[in-house]
Parts: sequence; C-alpha cells; structure tokens
Amino acid sequence: MNREASVAMPAPRAFLSRAARETLSNYAYLLPAAVCLGGTVLFPILKAIHMSLYHNVLSRPQDYHFIGLGNYLRMIHDPTFWLTLKNSLVWVFFSVSIQFVLGFLGALLLNAEFKGRAFCRTLNLLPWIIPGVVVGLVWEYLYQPNYGPINDILRRVGLLRVPIAWLSDPTFAMAGVIFANVWRGIPFFTIMILAGLQSIPDEVYEAATVDGASVTQRFWHVTLPMLRPIIVVATVTRIIWTFNYADLIFVMTSGGPANATQITSSYTLLTAYTDLDFGYAATLSVILLVIMLVFTAFYLKFTKGVESVSG
Amino acid sequence: MSKQRSGDFLERILGGPVLWTGLVIMTLFAMGPFLWAFSASLKTRAELYATPITYIPAHATFQNYVEAWTSRLTPFSRFFANSLWVSSVTMVATIVISTSAGYALARFRFIGKNTLMLVFLATQMFPAVLLIAPLLSQWYALGLIDTYQALIYSNFSFTVPFTVWMLVGYFESIPRELEESAMIDGSGRFGAMLRIIVPLAAPGIAATAIFAFVSSWSELLFATTFTSSTNMRTLSAGLLYMAGQYEVQWGQLSAGVMISTVPVAILFTFLQKHLIKGLTAGAMKG
Repeated sequence: MNREASVAMPAPRAFLSRAARETLSNYAYLLPAAVCLGGTVLFPILKAIHMSLYHNVLSRPQDYHFIGLGNYLRMIHDPTFWLTLKNSLVWVFFSVSIQFVLGFLGALLLNAEFKGRAFCRTLNLLPWIIPGVVVGLVWEYLYQPNYGPINDILRRVGLLRVPIAWLSDPTFAMAGVIFANVWRGIPFFTIMILAGLQSIPDEVYEAATVDGASVTQRFWHVTLPMLRPIIVVATVTRIIWTFNYADLIFVMTSGGPANATQITSSYTLLTAYTDLDFGYAATLSVILLVIMLVFTAFYLKFTKGVESVSG
Repeated sequence: MSKQRSGDFLERILGGPVLWTGLVIMTLFAMGPFLWAFSASLKTRAELYATPITYIPAHATFQNYVEAWTSRLTPFSRFFANSLWVSSVTMVATIVISTSAGYALARFRFIGKNTLMLVFLATQMFPAVLLIAPLLSQWYALGLIDTYQALIYSNFSFTVPFTVWMLVGYFESIPRELEESAMIDGSGRFGAMLRIIVPLAAPGIAATAIFAFVSSWSELLFATTFTSSTNMRTLSAGLLYMAGQYEVQWGQLSAGVMISTVPVAILFTFLQKHLIKGLTAGAMKG
C-alpha cells in the first residue's frame, strides 16, 4: 500500500506523514486478529446482550418480541437457576480442590528422578489432552450398572452387594461427574506445579539441608512458598475453566437426574440446545459472564496484593 | 545434592517404597479408563454383554473398528476426515493470524496496547456457552450452517486469544537487534519478521500450533450446534450423536473413542515438551 501511494503521488509531501503511515502499517499486523475476535467474540457478546432483551424461542418465531428485562426477572424467580448456581459451587469446589491435591502429589512424584520418568509423565498427562466427549462417554461406560467395571470391582472386593446406577441416582450423580472431571483435570495441576518445582534452584534446597532442615521442613518452608505464585495462577485459571465447562455434564447426564448435576453453564447450554429458548439462554450466559468478570476483578486485585507483599 | 545426605529416615522411605507405590497407583488411575475402552473395543458383541464382565478380551477382534469406520449411520471415516480438516485449517490460520498480531504487540508501540492485551486475556475467561446462541444465529444469517467455515471461524474464538497471548511472550524474549540489523540490510519489516523472527520463535509457534490443533480436535459444542447433517460431523460431535442415537453400542463406541483419542495422544507424546513449555511460560510470568 505504501509503495503504491508513493508511486501514484510523486509530490514532495505524501498524503500521510511517514509516522502516520508507519502507525497504519503497524495496525495492519493486528487486523486479522481483530477481525477474528470482533466476528467471533465481541460482536456475539453484544448480540447475546441484545438477545437477552427479547422473548426469542426458535420454535415459536411468531412470539418474538422485545421484553426489556423480562428474561432477567424470570431468572430471579427461576428456582432451577438458583439450584444450578449452588450446583456450580459444589462442582467447582470439589473438582478443583481434589484436582489440586492429587495434581500436587503427582507433580512431587514425577519430579523425583527415576528410570523411565519421561514415559511415566506422558502416561499420566494423557487424560488432559483427550476430547471431553471421550472422557464423558468412557466414564459413563465405567459407571454403567450392569457392564461397567466400577460396580464389578466394588462387588468383587465386597464393598457393594447390589450394583449402583451412579449417574442416574440423585445421591451419587454429582459425585460421579465430579470424579470424572477430577480424573481429566489432575494433569493440569501436575503440569503447572511440575514446571514450578523445576524452576526452584537446587541451591535453595542444598542451603536448607545444610542448615539442618528435614524433608518436611523443606517442603513447608521452601517448596510451598516458592510455588505460591504458580499455585495461585493455576487454581484461578482452573476455577474459571471449571465454572464455564459444560461439555462433560452435557455428555454424561444432561444435568439429570432431576437437575441434580445441572450447573449454570450446562443449564444455559440446554436452554438453547434443547428448549431453543435463545432469549433466556442469552440472559443466563450474560449472567455467567458477569460472574466471571467480577471474579476476575477480585482475582486481579488480590494478586496485586500478593505481588506487593512478596516484592 | 540433598540426596547424598540421606540420614533422614523419612526421606529414604519417601524416595523408595512410597515413591514407587505412588507412581504405580497414579499411573494405573490415569491409564485405567483408556485400557478399559481399548479392551472393550476389541471384544465381540457376546463378550461385551456377558456376565461376569471380562477385563481382557477372550477373542480379540477388530470388527468394532471396521464397523465404526464403515458404518452408514455413523461413518467414522468421514468424521475423522472432517476433524482432520477443521483442526488443520484452524491450526494453520491461527498461526498466521497470531504470529502477526503477537509480533505487533511485542514490537510496536500502540495506544491502548495494555487494554488490548487485557482483552486477549479476558476472552479466555468467557464461557463457550455464551457464544453458542449468537454464533448460531450469525452463521444462520450468513448461510454457513453445516459448513466447515462455521466451525473453523468459531474455533478462532478460543484459539486466537490464547495463542496471541502465548506468542507475545515468545517474541519479547527475542532481541530486537536481530531484525533491526536485517532491516538495515534492506529487508522490510515484514520480511525481517518472516526470515529472522519466525525461525527463532519456532518452538513457541510449534506450541501454539499443537494447542490450536488439539483444542479444535476436542471441540464439541460448536461442532454439535453448527452442523446438522451426518456428513459434516467431527469426531466429537459424531461420538455424541452415536451415543444418543439408539441403545448404546459400547463396542463400536469404544472403537470410536480410540479413533478419536489415538491421534492426539501420539501428537502429544512427541510434542509435549514444546506444548508444556508454552503453556506454563505464561503462568510463570504472571
């Protein structure tokens, strides 16, 4: 573009100053990314906000009309919405905390030096890379009351007498989907914490050992404090991701039985996918977005606090 | 090294039996579900529904794979080709888009650059379900329902922000002087980027490429919502469709599971070093 402009206008002064042209060409590098995100993220979000103000059920196009905040009022009076919010808390809390503890243990084990460590790492990280629908279907099979191995193993060791239909029993369904989610999420923490462990220089441990620190003291007073920044980032990222994640529940239970496993994001998905109620689904998704933004704002404020304390 | 001072009894226990027991239990837990699916995929129909259930197939057969691959109702050969195409195009396009944007954000001064970086970061926190309804009506209006484009464009919504974020860090770690000297030698800025910076950032670009490919390969919600004909389904959408179709055929389904898993597992095994480095670098910085 620049070259064309200078050929077409041999006048001593170009249409745009050199600096202005440079700025423009600099922005050109960003253009493709801007178009992509504008078209697939920013515009759809605005569109979602717009949709949330309409009564918009795809199967009843004749009823399409503006209802202002009607969908939001409906949400406040929707007991299912509040139930899903509570379920989301349970889902996020247990998924992330168990993933964290087991992922941490996994990282400590895989950080040790032994023969075949690289291979062992690969095997343990695999659950994290496979498609969510695969996780959901395989675990559905594992839980299956008649042909699934979980019931079979529990009966063989004598813990169960009658098989349990884990995913269709309201008492166990939530634990069942959380356990599958834990299995798939452990490697995320393992990877993060392993990277953190490897960034701690050996000299720090050596110095602590020379000072007479035992293995437990070294863990509490050297390892944990040095891992703190990465633990915070990994946990927050995981909380957000888990809160938003609907695939597994969508595949395994569709929120059932009787909404026992329905979290807010899967409820949003099913409202659009099954009920075709796009107005209400958009409303729920806008609220999801607001919750995440508030959470992120708190997080950013909190981590600034962490930085100023540790710096 | 601390290991030489093994006077600590606890340390010896932790390094020996506890370590090995822990590793065995952990690896069994991680691999168990895969092994079960693999075993089931090799079983005959009779064995799949026999009681008591068996853990190692008595007469291993590839029949389930053949049936899933050639099935007319759920043609996994077609699903596989669709997944491969959508993920590959998403990957290549994402690299081009993100390299250009990442380079600009790492090198140029912009008004509002920090805000822009924050937008890229914040986009990663948006729930995918937020985009389903508006994107569906958008693709519908543009006549893109049941096309590869709809899936590829939609995938950009999660591949581009993350890969730009990752690449900015990579580019910033490469000294400016390198491409500045190339520019003095007569290359334009764009040429210098392509010939000097891109090769140096190859590990980072590889990491973003794997990320884009694997996350597109796994993507389910867009693929399920924006396609309606069997021939346009990806593996994820096809598996879900198969599971919801009729009485679940665990044998064929397990074969489908293995078909969907093995390519990304192989990719991951060979390229995990790059991917993990790229993924953790961002967190370590923050």
